[in-house]
Amino acid sequence: MTRTIPLRLAKYIRSLWLSETIITYLNIDSQGHLIDWGGYPRHYGLTHLVKGQPVTEQVVFLEGMLPVSRTQVLQFLSLEGGRYAHVHLVPFENGTWVLMFDATSQQQQQQKMQQQLNDLSLFSYRQSQLIQELESARRQLAEEKTQLEQASELKSRFIATLSHELRTPLTSIVGYTKLLDEVQQADVREATYLANVKTNANHLLTLIDNVLEQAKLEMGQVILHPTVCNVSQLLAEMKALFFPTAQDKGLAFETITAKTIPMRVMLDELHFRQILINLITNAFKFTQQGFVKVALAWQEGHLEFAVADSGPGISPVAQSKIFSAYHREDNARGLPGAGLGLAICHHLVQLMGGELTVDSALGQGAIFSGFVQAPLAQTLPLNREVELSQEVTILVADDNAVINDLLEIYLKEGGYSVIRASNGEEAVNLALAMQPELILMDLQMPILDGYHATKKLRSKEFNKPIIALSASTLATDREAALRAGCNDYLTKPVYIEDLLLAVANALG
Amino acid sequence: MNSLPQLITKMTIIQKKICMIGDFSVGKTSLVARFVRQSFSDKYLTTVGVKIDTKLINITDDTQVKLILWDIAGSDALNTTTASYLRGAAGYLLVADGTRRPTWDSALNLQQAVSSQIGNKPFVLLLNKADLQEQWEIKPSLVEPQTQQGWKLLPTSAKTGMGVEEAFSLLAKQILEIAT
Repeated sequence: MTRTIPLRLAKYIRSLWLSETIITYLNIDSQGHLIDWGGYPRHYGLTHLVKGQPVTEQVVFLEGMLPVSRTQVLQFLSLEGGRYAHVHLVPFENGTWVLMFDATSQQQQQQKMQQQLNDLSLFSYRQSQLIQELESARRQLAEEKTQLEQASELKSRFIATLSHELRTPLTSIVGYTKLLDEVQQADVREATYLANVKTNANHLLTLIDNVLEQAKLEMGQVILHPTVCNVSQLLAEMKALFFPTAQDKGLAFETITAKTIPMRVMLDELHFRQILINLITNAFKFTQQGFVKVALAWQEGHLEFAVADSGPGISPVAQSKIFSAYHREDNARGLPGAGLGLAICHHLVQLMGGELTVDSALGQGAIFSGFVQAPLAQTLPLNREVELSQEVTILVADDNAVINDLLEIYLKEGGYSVIRASNGEEAVNLALAMQPELILMDLQMPILDGYHATKKLRSKEFNKPIIALSASTLATDREAALRAGCNDYLTKPVYIEDLLLAVANALG
Repeated sequence: MNSLPQLITKMTIIQKKICMIGDFSVGKTSLVARFVRQSFSDKYLTTVGVKIDTKLINITDDTQVKLILWDIAGSDALNTTTASYLRGAAGYLLVADGTRRPTWDSALNLQQAVSSQIGNKPFVLLLNKADLQEQWEIKPSLVEPQTQQGWKLLPTSAKTGMGVEEAFSLLAKQILEIAT
């Protein structure tokens, strides 16, 4: 037994380049008993070493480790007192030498580095998990959005079909009620009944038209047809239309046209008319005293409009929902409507490249204002050089002789020659025989109406332009005319400039 | 007559080395701290090398086991350094972090590596961080094949102490059954 390290072990230690570190060693026999120790066992908390006793009871980390047949190295082994050591188990003769080299500071350095690496790795993992969760949430939202869009389109399609089916018999009811009103010599009571039927049928028809329009807007089926529009004239019509309502309710009704308004702008007149009618109707509906005012102005291709009223006003919460379809405020309960008027306006204004906003406070009335795109219309000089259009023949088909005369005067003023028909059948025969360059086709004519006459002409390969003339301002009537084969649609009364411009445009 | 001296003389103390194996930050050190000192810290301190602790537990009235716990630095695979710590282990606790799916795969790989290094020793697989169950990525369907193979799986939480005593005790009993 010796307290000195055998030469072979000393050489081994030197080869490790660890000779300057604090060394502790234990010498253990083949039975696992402690023979001797040296160095600084206290450094590692080994304070009660007893020679001749089993070493594993004194140095617990040696449990199961002995004996060794070849050198074993245990790096960074934690020992008492927060110390770390590299422990070498070296077989020597029949026993084992345990060499302990202090590695505390080395371990601390390595721990810092490893901590940073692991923290970074954990952070990256959490980050990638978050990204995956976000991506998954985004995908789910996109799927839900698609499903909702599909459901919404199905709903719109269903409503459109249903409304269309309802509209056809209802139009018939309205028509026959009108006829009944004209032919029947009714007493007062019967006349009241009939008037009620008429009022309610008309109300129902308006409602269905609105539902149909909203469904078409949602499906993107509303297509704009800008034509030349006299905006001042349009506003005058609005004044005439709502004058009786204003009188009935005892409200002041004022229309204001800014001086900047040009004579003619390009605008889908039917849809713009619909916007104004909806906004004005709404203002009258909610206003019990005071006024309703409508103003129009124009600048840089924008037609600006505003409808103001002295009604109860709209709360900020209600304003955020007011343009949603089928939304109705509590104070609208009991009033007619389905919560579609403003939604349709909003949608149409957007479709016309504009904006619609509301400015209101409770008890202080409301102003609905906005703008739509309305570029200046090119104007045609009257009394153009006659030779330019002398050869151009236009067929005017209208059962009303007065209107036929008027249209002929207008067209001749524009330098065109005119032939006339007083019903659809005559128009078809004349057109096929004379091959005019253009037809002005009234839609409501006896024997054969304008829709059927147009369809018949198109089926016989008459491919010159046909401009429909109608008193109806309903978008559905215009669409029906265009579907039948008309190229354009003018509403009566027709003004000479509008007529000549539409004719010139159609003739290219 | 005082029977205490007789009891003491009859009491057998067995020493067994147990290793804690698993990927980094799964909670091996925290499980040992909970088991040995009944303490827990939320702060993550990575282990470099190996930490050694001991705890005496009663298995039967006359048998105590002194567990020598080797808390080995976490890693997804066994390397030369960590393999050297396994020598003489009577069994091991394989630890995975329930909130990180990849640590389950690491546990499976490590089990194979340890088994080829020290043979088929008893082990218990711990699914740690059971206190964060709502964030778990290791689902029952994932562990099904291992439970069917007869692996002992225990959900544990070093934070709350849930399953910790049971885990060490279960492993100690398995080791002793093999030993007897």
